[in-house]
Amino acid sequence: MTRHIRGGGPLVATLAATLALTACGAGGRDSSDGEAAADTPGVTDDTVTIGGTFPLTGVAAPGYSEIPTGAQAYFDYVNEQGGVHGRQIDYIVKDDGYNPTTTSTVTNELVLKDEVFATVGSLGTPTQASVADYLNDEGVPQMMVSSGSLQWGDDVENRPMTFGWQPDYESEGKIIGQWVAENMPDAKVGLFLQDDDLGEDAEKGVRQYVDDQIVAVERYTSGNTDVAPQVSGLQAKKADLVLAFNTPSYTALSQLVALKTGYKPQWFYANIGSDPALVGSLLERFSEGAVDGDSTALDGVMTTEYIPGVDNPEDPWVQLWQKVWDEHGEDGELTNYRIYGMSQAYAFVQALDAAGEDLTREGLVEAVEEGGTDWDGPQLAPFRYSADSHMGISGMRILELEGGKGKPLTDVLVTDIGDAEITTDDSGSADDAPPENGVPTS
Amino acid sequence: MQQFLNTALSGLTLGMVYAAFALALVLIWRSTRIVNFAQAPMAMLTTFVALVVIDAGHSYWLGFVAALVSGLVLGAVLERVVIRPVEGKAEINAVILTLGLFIVLHGLAAVVFGNRYRSFPAPFGLEGLTVGSTTIALNGFGIFTIVSVLVVMGLLVALFRFTDVGLRMRASAFNSEVARLLGVKVGAMLTLGWALASLVGSLAGLLIAGGSLVHPSYMDSVVVFGFVAAVLGGLDSPLGAVVGGLILGLSLSFVSGYVGSQLVALAALVILMLVLTLKPGGLFAQAAERRV
Repeated sequence: MTRHIRGGGPLVATLAATLALTACGAGGRDSSDGEAAADTPGVTDDTVTIGGTFPLTGVAAPGYSEIPTGAQAYFDYVNEQGGVHGRQIDYIVKDDGYNPTTTSTVTNELVLKDEVFATVGSLGTPTQASVADYLNDEGVPQMMVSSGSLQWGDDVENRPMTFGWQPDYESEGKIIGQWVAENMPDAKVGLFLQDDDLGEDAEKGVRQYVDDQIVAVERYTSGNTDVAPQVSGLQAKKADLVLAFNTPSYTALSQLVALKTGYKPQWFYANIGSDPALVGSLLERFSEGAVDGDSTALDGVMTTEYIPGVDNPEDPWVQLWQKVWDEHGEDGELTNYRIYGMSQAYAFVQALDAAGEDLTREGLVEAVEEGGTDWDGPQLAPFRYSADSHMGISGMRILELEGGKGKPLTDVLVTDIGDAEITTDDSGSADDAPPENGVPTS
Repeated sequence: MQQFLNTALSGLTLGMVYAAFALALVLIWRSTRIVNFAQAPMAMLTTFVALVVIDAGHSYWLGFVAALVSGLVLGAVLERVVIRPVEGKAEINAVILTLGLFIVLHGLAAVVFGNRYRSFPAPFGLEGLTVGSTTIALNGFGIFTIVSVLVVMGLLVALFRFTDVGLRMRASAFNSEVARLLGVKVGAMLTLGWALASLVGSLAGLLIAGGSLVHPSYMDSVVVFGFVAAVLGGLDSPLGAVVGGLILGLSLSFVSGYVGSQLVALAALVILMLVLTLKPGGLFAQAAERRV
């Protein structure tokens, strides 16, 4: 198991940025006239080249490595329909193995060698944090980072080129916290947290509402698969409702340990850790005991949802994704991770479309800031994009899992970071359907 | 109280797995005088063999035996083909080779078996035993783990102490020249040492996989902890390996439960440093220190 010093990433990136700046010189870009598109890196009259970094190998690869396959399938689908403003999307995916040092190297390659127009959907909090300053210094849009950390959208001044996509962990924590305070006011709440931004941001949100209900907080370190001491800790404090903010493998591991120690609280897993298909496949063998085979393993568990998934084959968006996957996908089934990649790709195509025919990096950022909140798309709640905030999807609904399907317990609830109120979404985002041909146009 | 008990029990089971792994390291050290860093991926590979057998619809136990047999064969083959050419040269050559093997086997497993997490079955129920009205964190598989590690340790002690083969293996390892003059088939002994060590390693792999998740690097943390356990015990003593594994498993479980799970790896190294400072040859060192 490799460990990384997080401070090292930005340093390397800054160094690389300095070198790159010295090498290329900074001037020469003029976006005031119509020829701008010709000067913009990665953009020609008939192509736009974008890139992304993902863990295709290593411990973080299961699940996450499927995200770019979904995005690729959707870009292929759009290209087949003629692309965006006549430009074919060329998507370059690099493997960073979830290692921030590698992320710096491959992102450098994307920017300097492949000359990408923007990075899209690149995955991971520590990994993307290591290149955020570099990309912003270089003026390369860091679009729709696949992570719920706050840092992709709460500081537009310092990171004007960075945009989040999925709901942030703090907002998710708030929505879950309020629901618990209202519906389970007597519950003794235990928190099971991954010991990084994920757990930290979420705890901040949850504590706004159920601070006095919390009886135990346990943190595990990602990479250490023995969570028995943490689960025993929750059990000892007699927590009867566990709010868990963890990755899918740790959902399976915590269920196994609970079985071993005879711990039966109500489990509430945040969206990131609750994919029923993946967790179910991990637990399928342990069927002798209380853990049942397939995706029913998580029956009765509560979670949240912000885009429709494979358990909802009737949803028009899922039908579009199924069609895209059947026509352009690689081997294998459509999964929630692939849907995640496609939903993100859909939003990026909207951004490209909105940026207009004379495509520039500044133009892209402006278009997202101006129009992003109004885009229809698979997301259940609207984006929060504006000149002051680059935060992504604003909300989600709470579900109870049954037979691998989610049964909604609430309407779509929207909020923002800090002390923003939680309200029921009235934008109708949850009810929109994709356009006939499956490609967004303004 | 229940938390204390459960933390101790899960530490005990975990410690036994580290012990099994440390036993494999001790075995190879005693019979060849090198440390085999490829032990973990070798065990991972044989565990995947078991998974393939079980996936094909056969029973857990057939998979179990298949893994142990393939461990035996894998150890022998690797020694003959990869390690043999550098035998008799500086020990560091062989050690570096095992590091290379570590990477190659990892890559191979990822290509053949895929890189995702997969669940591995256990032959016994996974629910904890009930004592009175409370459930304790010890299940059938945990007991199986403890018993099988103790049995293996007993067998190894018996092998080295009471049998002719054991004596010849040790002789070949300590001084192959003299052993050869005395009529010991040194080559065969080295192969046997690797094969047996790989078999014990496979057992460790199966024990840690049972009732949990496996992927190509699931044994990697065990390498570090198993190595620390073996060094704690002095690298030379099967009993030391088991005691070292237990000390480590229990302390790490308590550190994780009562201090913080981010300190687990640090705690392992602190324990290692303390032991090596106070008793450089390990807790159970019998022979004088050897410089390698």
